[in-house]
Amino acid sequence: MAGFRLIELAKPFAPLLPEVELPYEKIGFDDKVVYTICAALIYVFGQFPLAGLAKNSGLEEQGSAGAVLDPIYFVRGVFAAEPKTLLEFGIFPVVSSALIMQVLAGLKLVRVNFKVRQDRELFQTSTKLFAILQYVVLANVFIFSGYYGTALSVFQIVLLNLQLAAAGLFVTLLVEVIDKGYGFASGAMAITTINIATNFAADVLGVNQILVDSEGHREAQGAVINLFQSLRSSHKTIVGGIVGAFNRDYLPNLTTSLLVIALAGAVCLLNNFRFELPIRSTRARGVNNVYPIRLLYVGGLSVLFSYVLLFYIHILAFILVQVVARNDPSSLLYKIIGGYASSNNLLYVPQFPLSLLTPPKSFIECLTRQPFTPFVFSAFMIVTGIWFAGLWQAISGASARDISVQFKDQGITLTGHREQGITKELEKIVPVASTTGAGILAILVVVGELLGLKGKGASIIVGVSGAFSLLELITAEFQQSGGQSALTQVLGVTGA
Amino acid sequence: MAKNNNQLERLAEAPVEFIKDGTAFIQKCKKPGNKDFLKIVRAVGIGFVAVGIIGYAIKLLHIPIRYLIV
Repeated sequence: MAGFRLIELAKPFAPLLPEVELPYEKIGFDDKVVYTICAALIYVFGQFPLAGLAKNSGLEEQGSAGAVLDPIYFVRGVFAAEPKTLLEFGIFPVVSSALIMQVLAGLKLVRVNFKVRQDRELFQTSTKLFAILQYVVLANVFIFSGYYGTALSVFQIVLLNLQLAAAGLFVTLLVEVIDKGYGFASGAMAITTINIATNFAADVLGVNQILVDSEGHREAQGAVINLFQSLRSSHKTIVGGIVGAFNRDYLPNLTTSLLVIALAGAVCLLNNFRFELPIRSTRARGVNNVYPIRLLYVGGLSVLFSYVLLFYIHILAFILVQVVARNDPSSLLYKIIGGYASSNNLLYVPQFPLSLLTPPKSFIECLTRQPFTPFVFSAFMIVTGIWFAGLWQAISGASARDISVQFKDQGITLTGHREQGITKELEKIVPVASTTGAGILAILVVVGELLGLKGKGASIIVGVSGAFSLLELITAEFQQSGGQSALTQVLGVTGA
Repeated sequence: MAKNNNQLERLAEAPVEFIKDGTAFIQKCKKPGNKDFLKIVRAVGIGFVAVGIIGYAIKLLHIPIRYLIV
């Protein structure tokens, strides 16, 4: 074996890392549904508040100017990350390490021979190791930036590290449970989908009351609930209540909810665009069928990849500006990268030029304060999305060549083509489908984000695409299992 | 020099080509009919909201837990 291989680095850690065993026997349909949903719900339940935060990082300090606030609020939704909880970084490290290792392997920057079992295992271990490493590094970046409070004792730092790293390891294993065949689809996708659904339900129908002003008025988190409540409340007029329900900016409002629903509908529509290739069997005469190629060939993954890059850029900027330069306007780094301005005492809004890659807080702010953002941000999303889609369709085991091999095995051929011509014909279609789909999806994300959805637009798009892939897998599995399922009998579902 | 120009031209043409290919592809795609679309939206929507509400119920459990811990 000539040269050094990156995955060899993971070898000494392989026996140390806990691993989920592959299932001994085939998991039934019902069990899979239960595993998938329970894993995601355990994740949702795991969003416990962190212990050991400095007391002054709470409400008292929020008024002061020096507090370090949330710098990555606009990517949180996509990665199911909840601020100041155990899941501070959500599943970002898991997703990013999986995507990046795959991309590196696809570009042959990391040399892996996927035909060798040992290599596959090493690759898996190194992906997991990379994920856990990222949890630890991110935790320390946040701790030393002062995000959890400025004067932390050694004990607090150790405690925070332990919590964040342990939660990270737990999430990695949770994802692995689903990945290894106990559940449907990839674990990361199932968890993000369900978490995004949860956030959506909370934003629209949430009934929990949140303190909104110093007079002790409370408003519901859910936009619809808030509308009804403000119609009845005594300190607002009816018109004021309705207007407030549509444009409050401290909590989800009806305008953003409607926009999110519209985006979800658009993604649903796009998911059903497909190119139908006529196929026929080579074994039986007269058996004609169609093989669908979806427009969104890589699904929401292209958006996820763009957001992974966005996250890295912003974390890097955060390290430089906050940890190194302490967000000091006179320092050189602040001048080059741009600093942070606090908003509502909750968010850290990046300033120019970092703001070029930051979705604006509202459409008006986008026009008045960051007029270049639409160009740079859209270009970034579209280019990275298309690049990723083009690469991914080639390396993910669903490329034109893979499909033609599959056709051959099943005795299928394209109508009007010889067997040798199948790969060429597919090569004309598959890359175009995946890149076009990714481009359109990126445009959709950009439209949503520029209208001021603060990450909700991107997350609903990822969420609905994830829901579609899950649904597809579930229906396929359901049909394979012969439609026998105790769950459907209990729920009385007639099948999608 | 001429070769360089050629490359530049090709670089400028790439997005145009891409958009042309893309629109042609979309036009050839089969789009869902109104009825199908409604059915799909309903299936996905109900699933999405149902799971969301279950998740939200779990999230609500955190409020008393937070009071207990903090």
